[in-house]
Amino acid sequence: MAFVLGIDIGSAASKGILLNDQGMQASYECPSGGDFKLTAERIKKELLSQTQKSEKEISRTVATGYGSTLVAFADEVKPDMVCHGKGVSSLLPSVRTVIDVGDLYTKVLHIDGHGSMHNFLLSGKCAGGSGRILQVIAKVLHVKVEEIGELSLKSKKRIDFSTGCAVFAESEAISRLSQEVTKEDLLAGLHRALAAQINSLVERIGVEQDVAMVGGGARDVGLVQALKEVRNQDILVPPNPHMTAALGAALIAMEGLKDKIET
Amino acid sequence: MADEKKEVKPKKRMTATQAAASIGPMVKEFITGTLRARAEGKQKIAYTFIVCHHEEIFRAMDVVPVWTENFAGICGAKRDAERFLQRAESLGLSRSLCTYALCGIGFDQWREELGQMPPDAPWGGQVRPDFMISSGQILCDPRSKWYQASQQFMPDVPIYNIDLPYPLFQRDRDHRDVWDYYHQYIVKQLRGLVTFLEEQTKKKMDYDRLRELVDLSDRTWNLIEETYDLRKAVPCPMGTGDAMNTMVPINFMMATQQAYDFFVNLKKELEEKIAKGEGEVENEKYRLMWGGGLPAWFALTDFNYFNSKGASFPVETTYRMVAPLNQMDIPETKDPIEHLAWRWLGYWTFWYDKAKKRPGSEPDVERLINRIEEYKIDGVVMHEAFSCRTWHVGLIWQLHQLAKIYKPIPVFVTGKGGKKEKIYRELPSLILESDIIDITSYSEVDTKNKIDAFIETLESIRLNRAA
Ligand code: SF4
Repeated sequence: MAFVLGIDIGSAASKGILLNDQGMQASYECPSGGDFKLTAERIKKELLSQTQKSEKEISRTVATGYGSTLVAFADEVKPDMVCHGKGVSSLLPSVRTVIDVGDLYTKVLHIDGHGSMHNFLLSGKCAGGSGRILQVIAKVLHVKVEEIGELSLKSKKRIDFSTGCAVFAESEAISRLSQEVTKEDLLAGLHRALAAQINSLVERIGVEQDVAMVGGGARDVGLVQALKEVRNQDILVPPNPHMTAALGAALIAMEGLKDKIET
Repeated sequence: MADEKKEVKPKKRMTATQAAASIGPMVKEFITGTLRARAEGKQKIAYTFIVCHHEEIFRAMDVVPVWTENFAGICGAKRDAERFLQRAESLGLSRSLCTYALCGIGFDQWREELGQMPPDAPWGGQVRPDFMISSGQILCDPRSKWYQASQQFMPDVPIYNIDLPYPLFQRDRDHRDVWDYYHQYIVKQLRGLVTFLEEQTKKKMDYDRLRELVDLSDRTWNLIEETYDLRKAVPCPMGTGDAMNTMVPINFMMATQQAYDFFVNLKKELEEKIAKGEGEVENEKYRLMWGGGLPAWFALTDFNYFNSKGASFPVETTYRMVAPLNQMDIPETKDPIEHLAWRWLGYWTFWYDKAKKRPGSEPDVERLINRIEEYKIDGVVMHEAFSCRTWHVGLIWQLHQLAKIYKPIPVFVTGKGGKKEKIYRELPSLILESDIIDITSYSEVDTKNKIDAFIETLESIRLNRAA
C-alpha cells in the first residue's frame, strides 16, 4: 500500500498529513519557527512515528506554503492555493469559492468540482485583513489566540473599530481598553473590521456558491460569524480548516503517484 | 542625511530580440548626448514628460528633451534609485508620492547642492536644464508639481506648462460633439509652447521642418502598429519584456529617423523569426497580456520567470502609446500644430465608439477585449505600482468589469444534478503589486508564488477547456 505526505510550511504554523488509499492516517502541526528545513524534518518524523512507518515507505511528498521550497525531501512543490482548492473540494465538494485567512495573507480562490483553481486574488503586502492582527490583539488582551473567537461571540455591545490595519488596530485596542471597554466587545469590533476587509477582497473577485473559509483564521468562530454577518450568507468551514493545504498537498501527491503508475 | 549607498546590481534580463538588446546602448547614448549638448552649449535643454505629442515641436526647434521619467526609470532599472528617493524624503517629501518624481527631485537637489553630478550618477547623470516643460494631464499631478519642487533648487530655470485635456467617455454622448472645443484649446496650448521656445532659443519656428517631422512621426506610428501586430503570430516572436525596451523609441525618440529605422529593423527581425517559427519561449503554452501598469523596472527578470514556465506576452497596453492613424476618425489639416492636436484627441478617444457598442464596456476595457481576441490571450497580468496613480487608478476596476462582461472560456463542469454542463468562464487574471522604482515595495518570494499559482490556474483551465 502506498503512503504519501503533504507538508504545508506556513509563515506561522506548519502542518503535515500522511495519507494512503484508505484516507488520512496521521496529521501533525507545530509552529514554523525560524528554520523551515528543520520544521519539515520534524513533521515527517512525527508522522512516521505516529504510523510506525519508515521513510522508505513514503512514495511521494508534495510541499506547499511559504517555506515549501525549503522542504528538501519533497518530490514536488505546489502553490498553497492549489492545495487548498484540492483539500477543500475533497471535504466539501459543493464549494466553489474558498477564502483562506492565513497569518500573512488572505486569499480568495475559485475552484471547480474537482478542486482545480481557475482564478484567485491575494491581499496586498500589508498584514491588514490577514490573521496576523488576531495574534497581535491576543497579546494585547493577554488571552490565548484560540480563545478570542468564543470571547467575541459573548459580546453585548460591539465597538466600532476604525481600522483593519494590524499596526493601528493594536494602538486603537490599547486606547479603547483605557476607556473601560470589555474584551468581548473589543474583539467583536475587531472581528467585524477584519471581516469587512476580507469581504472587500472577496467582492473584488466575486463569489460562486458555496463558500468555504479555511486557514488559521477559520478556526476563529468569532471571525467566521462576523464574515457571515457582513456577507449575510452562510459560510462553510471544514473540520480542521487550517489543515486543508496539507491535505490538498497529500492528495496531489497521491494523484501524482497514480499518474506515474498509469504511464 | 540619508544612507547614500547603492543597491545590489540587478540580474540582466534575457531579451528575445536583437532590437531589444540594442536599446541599452541607445538610451545610454541619448543620456550622454544631453551631457554633450550641455558641454557644447549650442542647444537648449528642456526637462519634460512623455506622451505629450510635443516632441516634434522640440526637435523642430533643436531643443534637446530630457525625459525626466526616463532618467528615474534608469535609476530604478540599475537598482540605484534608493539614495535619491531617500534624499527626497529627507527634504520632507512623502514616499507615497510618485517615486519617479521623488527620484528626480532628490537627484536635482543633490546635483545643485554639489554644483556637479552626484557621485557615480547613473550613466553620467541628468543634466541641468535651461527650462522645464510640464504638462497638466488628467490625474497626474506630478506632471505639474514635480518641476515646481525642483525649481526650488534651480530658481533661475523657468517652467512652462501645457495643458492637454481630452473629452471623457460618456456612453450616451458622441465625443465629436465637443471635441472642436478641445481641439481649439490644445492648439492654443501648443502654439503657446512654440512662442515660449522661440523666446528661449531666440529662433523662429521653421514650420516646413515641423511638418516634415510630424509626417515622420505619423509614419513611425503606423510602422509601430504594423510591427507590433506581428506579435499575433503563434508562437509569439517578441514579448512584453522586450517591449519594455522597445518602448524607448516610442516614448523618447519620436520624430527622429533613428526611431523609424529602429522599427524597420525590428519588423524585419520579427518577420524572420516568424518565418523560422521562433517564439519568445521555446514551447509556448500560455499567451498572456500585460493588461496595465508600469513595470517594476528593478525586476524585469520576472518576465524571464514567466517565460521559464512557458508563458509568453504577445501584447501589452502599457507604453503602446500609438494607434493606427488610418483608423482614426480625425479631420485632415495641413497645419502641423493642428494635426498634433487632432492626433492627441484621436489617440485618447480611439476606443470610444467600439466601447459604446458593447453593454457594460468602457474604452480601457474594450481595448483589453480587443487585444485578447486579436492576440489569442489566455490570461491577463497587471501591475499595481503604488506610487503612480495616473496609470494605475482603475486597473482593478477594469479587471472586474472585464470578468463581468466577457467570459470567453468554454469549460465543462458537473452541474447540480450530476450532469456535465458547458459554461463560459472569465479569463484568469493576476495582479502583481510593487512599484516602478521603489524596491522596498517588492518581494521576490511573493511575486514568484503568485506567478506559480497563476500558472497552475492557466494549466487547470487548459486541461478543462471544452473543445
Ligand atoms: S505619477 Fe505616473 S505618469 Fe505622473 S509623473 Fe509619476 S510616473 Fe509619470
